[in-house]
Amino acid sequence: MSTRGLGILAVALVALATGFVLADQVRTQLLTPSNQLARYQALVRSVQDLETTNADQRRQIADLRNQIDSLESDAAGRSATTQSLRNQVADLRAHAGLVAVHGPGVEVVLRNGSPGPGSGGQTGYLVNFQDVQDVVNLLFTQGAEAIAVNGRRITPLTAFSGSEGQIVIDQGPPLTSPLKIDAIGDRNRMAAALNDDSALPGLRARQVQFQLHLTFEGLADISLPAYDSSLQIPHVAAA
Amino acid sequence: MSRRPSARRAPAGARGLSVGLIALLVALVATIQIRSQAEVERSLVGVDSTSLAFLIDDLHRANESLEAEKADLARRRATLQSGQTGAADQVLRDEAERLRAIEGLVPVQGPGVVMVIDASGLTALDLQDALNNLSAAGAEAIDVNGHRVVTGVPVAQTTNGVAVDGNVIVSPWTISVIGDSNRLAQVADLMTQQLRADRRVRGASYRVETDVVISSLISEKPFVYALPG
Repeated sequence: MSTRGLGILAVALVALATGFVLADQVRTQLLTPSNQLARYQALVRSVQDLETTNADQRRQIADLRNQIDSLESDAAGRSATTQSLRNQVADLRAHAGLVAVHGPGVEVVLRNGSPGPGSGGQTGYLVNFQDVQDVVNLLFTQGAEAIAVNGRRITPLTAFSGSEGQIVIDQGPPLTSPLKIDAIGDRNRMAAALNDDSALPGLRARQVQFQLHLTFEGLADISLPAYDSSLQIPHVAAA
Repeated sequence: MSRRPSARRAPAGARGLSVGLIALLVALVATIQIRSQAEVERSLVGVDSTSLAFLIDDLHRANESLEAEKADLARRRATLQSGQTGAADQVLRDEAERLRAIEGLVPVQGPGVVMVIDASGLTALDLQDALNNLSAAGAEAIDVNGHRVVTGVPVAQTTNGVAVDGNVIVSPWTISVIGDSNRLAQVADLMTQQLRADRRVRGASYRVETDVVISSLISEKPFVYALPG
């Protein structure tokens, strides 16, 4: 075969190989990420839609509670018995987190650190729901009377959950770093507990390992919003 | 010296064009591939698909709870708007009763589970995690060894062991929970499996009951620092 023939054969082979690569690329490398992306985007859209519904519903719940409060106020103005009942309920609502409150306290800020090697390096640098739960429990142990996390009020039924740096509190949308935990109470007592190196061992270890941030400051007056979600107990009856 | 005829110069140009086209195709494939990968990576920052699926499930459940709360509040508003004699008093009495149950101020009963954990060396963090797991599974009332627990009740580590609201609780821990039995049983099952794998735990079990009675109460503590508004 002549040199020219060999050249043409080489070009043909390269073209053929490129064709295979292109076909394979389209079939396995382009379509698959496209489908993955489409599926992922569909999931993200679902989350966004549900979060929008969630925010709307919480807004409507807050509105309904305000309307009920106003109607109860009108009724209490016409009856001493109703006024007495309303006073009792007002105190119960305050302790359940259904009333906005303010007072002295501390503000704790938790912020993601930096990814690092070693055990837990994949997610250890992220603030997780257990971190928030531990800080909230510590503050309650030190006499906190009311707490909110990124504006979400903690109630007697509150539960923390989540994954990979997402913190879900009750029926609210997921929260991510930075997390701001506001607590009303004896700020000296709460600050002393937060300064105690033996408290919050898991967080302290990750502060060193992943530079996870834990800071706090005492404040003269903190305002906490009212709880805006569900407090249903359908399975409980008076004993 | 003979010159190549001009007719023979064309294939050489065609070959060059072919090589150029191939190079173009390779570049095209590489570019599209890199862009596709970059787009996927950019959109996947933070959360994987599995976590998103769990999140969707959680949000569905949350929105259903919010819908139920909204319906309940709308009913209360309608009752108040009816203007019937005693309507406001009844609405307030019902809410007071419900809030007292939520805050642990009255005895309650209902379906649920009872967990028993026999262990030595478990800490306050272990109990806090267990209580939070049960709360996340919809617990509506909880008692540990005769002490009522709601979020906000101090669960602390003391030199004598774990204390609930200042009362040291000794092993075995009996955790009584009222709520949706099915959801609570699923979580209790997972918890007992994990606990049995823990060297500190001698035994962990749970049973589903149709009527769990919780008589323990939390003493009311008036706010000292928090003011309305």
